[in-house]
Amino acid sequence: MPMNRLLVRVIALLTVLPGAVYPQCTQTSASQADRDLWNIHGCWQAFFLWQYLAYDMHEGDWSGRGWNDACNRNLEYPKHWNAAYLVTYGLLDNYYQSFHGTIDYRSTGEAAGNSFKNSVYHAPTNRTDIFGAWVWHLIGSDEIQTSCLLYNPTVANANPGSRAGDFMHEGWHGWMNKYNWNNGSAGGHRPCQPQPNGSCTLGQCTVNGCDYFYFHGISAYLFGAMWETDGTANRFHSPNQVQVEFLCDVADQPQSWVPASVRQAAQADANQRAAQRFINGPGYTCGSPRPW
Amino acid sequence: MLRHPSNWLGIFAVTFGAAACKAPPARQAVSGKAPATTEAGGPSPSRLYASRTLHKPPPLTGSGEAARRNVLSFIDWAGMSTVEEREDARKAITGARDNGDVAKVLCDEAFQAQKTDHSRALLVLAILGEMRSSVGAECLERFMRLPFPDSGTVVDGEIVEQTALGTLQAKAIAGLAYMRTARGDEAVLRAVAKHPSRIVRAEAINAYLWNHGDTPQARATLRRYVRKGEEAFLDRIRREPGDSASVFNRRLDAYLKAHPEAIPPVPEHGKRTEKDTLQDKRNPPAPPPRP
Repeated sequence: MPMNRLLVRVIALLTVLPGAVYPQCTQTSASQADRDLWNIHGCWQAFFLWQYLAYDMHEGDWSGRGWNDACNRNLEYPKHWNAAYLVTYGLLDNYYQSFHGTIDYRSTGEAAGNSFKNSVYHAPTNRTDIFGAWVWHLIGSDEIQTSCLLYNPTVANANPGSRAGDFMHEGWHGWMNKYNWNNGSAGGHRPCQPQPNGSCTLGQCTVNGCDYFYFHGISAYLFGAMWETDGTANRFHSPNQVQVEFLCDVADQPQSWVPASVRQAAQADANQRAAQRFINGPGYTCGSPRPW
Repeated sequence: MLRHPSNWLGIFAVTFGAAACKAPPARQAVSGKAPATTEAGGPSPSRLYASRTLHKPPPLTGSGEAARRNVLSFIDWAGMSTVEEREDARKAITGARDNGDVAKVLCDEAFQAQKTDHSRALLVLAILGEMRSSVGAECLERFMRLPFPDSGTVVDGEIVEQTALGTLQAKAIAGLAYMRTARGDEAVLRAVAKHPSRIVRAEAINAYLWNHGDTPQARATLRRYVRKGEEAFLDRIRREPGDSASVFNRRLDAYLKAHPEAIPPVPEHGKRTEKDTLQDKRNPPAPPPRP
């Protein structure tokens, strides 16, 4: 980029940042699944006072989004910590039936640097062309952004499972970066290729952001070992795969108290993602097709 | 999605050199004001849970206005219902099979929620499918005829409005397959061949197989309808809640033997974005134990 254009861009960015991110998401209601999970904890204050530290969230990022009204379930920050509650307590951790354990999913989504990724902080974004993003920073922690599409109740992904699933997806980009894996040039995924019939596909993938599914059995990873790889396709994960496996575990291996609406939304998200986003797909189908 | 050093701090540093990097302080792991609420603290989650009466679904009965009130109350209960209450819900739902007023209110609620609350629409469609009533079946067929959007909000080449309706119509097609009637199967096979969404086609295949006992005959029937290039969906691995590791793993081995094209290539290393060693964020304390 020519220096003059770069300088213009820097000046423009410095003019609008920080504080440019005003809330624009729908904050007048919450989805059925969000409300049902909320009613389980009833706005347990000790949890969000731990959660904002564990996810490294800051008033400057979440002001106007429920930071000072953290028990208002219609607002973004409360919806964020509602999803974190599901990650922290909602899984059964059955080694003989779950894909992975709570320790894997917490280590992927929470802020602290560890074997899974370097440290991150969580911030909102008003963009509606992404569900979320993992953003590299030169200094300090990287960033996990979550967009309005994870908070607006009309959108399929605005439920606690899908929102938490995005924490996993973006966190796994951090794993890819930490261990120097190249997952493609389309926002950290492989781009689809235009087809003669006008569609854009890559193998069985029908979106523009495709991953491989690195199939593995149940009990293949000890809990806490999801970050491990032997450098081959036998022991590896892609971001969409980690997301599908998390959603599957919410749908099929939850704590008993996880509400039906949360489980059903997680199952629907897992299955659509497994059908659309994998080059060598489809990935697993989660759960029984019996309606209830 | 992944974004690399297009952030302002990175550009600033590249432009003005290392000295400039020192100017903006690194983000502190723990700083600033904690989130707050004006609400008084309530009981702990486990006390809340203990105060619930489990296995007592509200009645799914009545006619006219009473049916409407009862249905809305039942949906609230069903959304919150636990894993252990699954059979209670199934029993209450099938008990209302012959109540046309209840099915009609559920149907109205499904169409209404489709516009306002995706997870509620999913829940109501699940109830309608489980009910296996004639009014419910007609409703699910009507839901399948909702026009599939061809434009909207695009994320990674995915139109999110398509995904939203696709996941709801996938739930509707699962309900039609669960009817286990000739008419329901006809709708399912039509979806396998002609529905514009892969989400719906995939669920139609899965639901048809499951409702026909995963038999070779069911697979042979589907083969006549499945789109070219989607044959692998006939063998797709299903992970059900009660599956043991050995059952699932055997199924996975068989799938990969039958579909060697599903084995991915060796992962590739890329160019690492180096960063300094400011990874000083400490692990937070353990979360509060769920009291």
